Amino acid sequence: MFSSNGDRAILDREPRFDDITSSLKSVSKMPKAAFRETAQVIATARRFNEEVVRPRALELDRLKHEDPDYLPWDMVEEANRRGFYTMFIPKLFGGHGLNMPSLSCFMEEVASGCTGIANLIGVHYLGVATLCASWNLRVMNRVMRDTAEGERNGKPCLISLAITEPGAGTDVEELELVGKAKVTCHAERVPGGYRLNGNKIFISNGHLSTWHMTIAYTDLDDPANTTVMLAVRNGMEGFSFGRQEHKMGQKACPASELIFEDCFVPDDLVCFDALQAARHTRSMQAVTMQVIDYVLSGSRAGVGSFGTGVARGAYEEALRFASQAEVGGKLLINHEWAQCVLAEMYKNVALARLSYVETNYANGLYGLFKVLHYKPLFYLMKYLPQQFVDAVVQPFLNMDFVTWLFRKIYFDWQREDEYQRTSGWASLSKFSATDAGVRNCQLALELMGGAGVRTDQVAEKHLRDSKLLQIYEGTNQLNRLNLFKCLIGRSVPAAKVFED
Amino acid sequence: MKSLMNSELGMFEQTVSDFAAGELLDGRQENDRFPYGPLFEEVLRKARAVGFFSVTLPEELDGCEMGVTELCVLLDSLSRIDASLAAVIFTDTLAKEIVYRSRGFLQLKDLVARVGEYGGGLFAFPSHADPADSRGLLAEPVGEGLYSLSGTVDYVVLGGIAGSAVLPARTAAEGYSFFVVDLAGPGLGVSVPVASLGLHACPAVDITLEGARGALVGGEGLGAEYLERVTGTMNAAAAAMSLGVMKGSFEEAVSYARQREQGGREIINWSEVRRILARMAVKLKVCDMVVAEACRNAEESLPGWELGARAAALYSGEASVELTTDGIQVLGGNGYMEDYGQEKRFRDAGQIRSLMGIAPIRELELMRKVLEGEPLY
Repeated sequence: MFSSNGDRAILDREPRFDDITSSLKSVSKMPKAAFRETAQVIATARRFNEEVVRPRALELDRLKHEDPDYLPWDMVEEANRRGFYTMFIPKLFGGHGLNMPSLSCFMEEVASGCTGIANLIGVHYLGVATLCASWNLRVMNRVMRDTAEGERNGKPCLISLAITEPGAGTDVEELELVGKAKVTCHAERVPGGYRLNGNKIFISNGHLSTWHMTIAYTDLDDPANTTVMLAVRNGMEGFSFGRQEHKMGQKACPASELIFEDCFVPDDLVCFDALQAARHTRSMQAVTMQVIDYVLSGSRAGVGSFGTGVARGAYEEALRFASQAEVGGKLLINHEWAQCVLAEMYKNVALARLSYVETNYANGLYGLFKVLHYKPLFYLMKYLPQQFVDAVVQPFLNMDFVTWLFRKIYFDWQREDEYQRTSGWASLSKFSATDAGVRNCQLALELMGGAGVRTDQVAEKHLRDSKLLQIYEGTNQLNRLNLFKCLIGRSVPAAKVFED
Repeated sequence: MKSLMNSELGMFEQTVSDFAAGELLDGRQENDRFPYGPLFEEVLRKARAVGFFSVTLPEELDGCEMGVTELCVLLDSLSRIDASLAAVIFTDTLAKEIVYRSRGFLQLKDLVARVGEYGGGLFAFPSHADPADSRGLLAEPVGEGLYSLSGTVDYVVLGGIAGSAVLPARTAAEGYSFFVVDLAGPGLGVSVPVASLGLHACPAVDITLEGARGALVGGEGLGAEYLERVTGTMNAAAAAMSLGVMKGSFEEAVSYARQREQGGREIINWSEVRRILARMAVKLKVCDMVVAEACRNAEESLPGWELGARAAALYSGEASVELTTDGIQVLGGNGYMEDYGQEKRFRDAGQIRSLMGIAPIRELELMRKVLEGEPLY
């Protein structure tokens, strides 16, 4: 009945067996403690929702309406007090080291209360993921230990990602496009580092962050081959904040302009550049794409969890309303059509969640999380005392050899089909979960009628918040093209992507 | 709507468009900040002065004796720039039409003549609710057509700025009745403006009444009948507002797509972007035809025209929500920012869709009428 002869070839036909079985493959590899951690993370997030997020979500929204320059420092400080900015940073770098996939579960919970507040926490991990994707362990250790120190001394130290520019948004997330993009953020090589000039816009958490993982280019006419990633800290000469954008929703989370005017970034804060890429097998362009894919494969699953969360928040508000409001002489929830709408919304939430969970399984097997998910290392890091890590292990992180080793594992040894899998699934999760988020918000308003448009009924805030999810981390259109490129077009020789 | 245009209607459309471009365009973003910024009182005064309020009422009632078509052209042309003023006109017209259609000519005559502030002659109404579900307000007769009203009414649009309100309440009779209430009278508590999704410059409040005086509109228990008399006109008007918002969103999206470059070329030359625009164009064109058809049938009083107007409002409401969602998407991050008009149109479309009650309930009501034999086509 079963024969191994020739099975591999059959299983490699589309849809490829390995593409659709990340969860199945992960079952035996997943440390049991990760499951318990996830339960702990969800309970923590639900307490945070009950005690802080839901009581304050509308207030933050209103404060930003009243004063477009308002910054929610008190909320950031509360999250910092609760350890949320180090909760998912590996213990190697001074964090609490909870498993990274559970971050998505945490984000879903918080986003079900307020996507803006979820961003105040989640976007910090976008900065963390960017830093980690460079696999420059020395800079990673320095920056993330700053965050850990900020937790201890009560001064939040967040990390942002600065990539979007006034003339280039979608472009900068695909190497095929960035070569033709109108980028302006220039990093000039000077003795001892880089001199940075240009502006970044729409930088989430910009005004609230201390470190900014900044993407720039040494040759503006050839950005695909000259990308550099620099760690810029507040207070560095030549770096300043510009205006905050006036957004429709997610008002708790500022979108900032960052301005660089002859900002000198020393070599010890260069996360990644052509000189470093030259030590590895693949071309500069290919390694840059790997770095971007590592970031996006994690962050797009994160945005998928935001989409799931806002879809759930809208569903919960609609359910609450339907359980209380009388329409046509009986409770709305007892109208058959309303029950079908609520079932549809529940389905949207469940499928959106499955999409980010499956993506994170892929990231655990093939992507950003794979080393930390290796069972012996997972348990070693879980049970080693932090003092021992700090005193004995930490000094190794500053050795070039360790960075070289991690880059060997993550850059040279990652197969093409592996990053296609993580990248393709991340895009799938991003656009399906965020479409579900917007859809559920619209269904909630449809079901609630006039009550739905009132801000005090929350559903309309969810709708305003949800729309941004279809745009950032690559528009949903770009993500559809990326899915095509990664999981469909590769098997169709005639297919060309981004050459319409 | 072009198919309806004659020279007179064309001039009217041009007048409204000029007014919108001159009075609404520049202040759109600032006006939308209400209640965190000032109300556009000067615009309301000018709109009243040029006769945009009560357009469907007879001249004796300060109206222009215009038909459904003119009302739709007015609301469509205003909403193309900023739907808030159109929503003010919609609410005022709905309230006054209910009183007028209940043969309340004299009742209206005194009230619309109220002078003073811009809001003196305006009427407020809970225009996002189905009055049949409104059970929070009770009315006790005190003699000579006057009643004592106690209870609450949520989300009364214009309640904070209008001189009078038309509110649904329950009496001893079956069904509900409408009452005209002086909003400056004793026994009334008005909340701060209720924060909402869209149409910020057309604000609403929650009203609490404790023995407030109300004048019965028409007969007791006949509220549903009076509402039915104006439903066709007001559904066509709601559809026209959705249509105007769609036009604004589509035009902004096309203009931006022609200018914005990604990947070394204008995004309008990306076939996926162009297809999004094409889907927007199809929805827009269909809604334009649907509203025009509703107006034409209304003017000729063809059997079933009210049903067509209901269908137009339901279809346009849903289509405008979808279209304005895409309207933001074409502009990407810029579409989400207040500097462009797209995010406001997205919010306004959602708000307009909820006019006159929960859309699925209105769909079921339409189907009930079809099953009772009203001609659908």
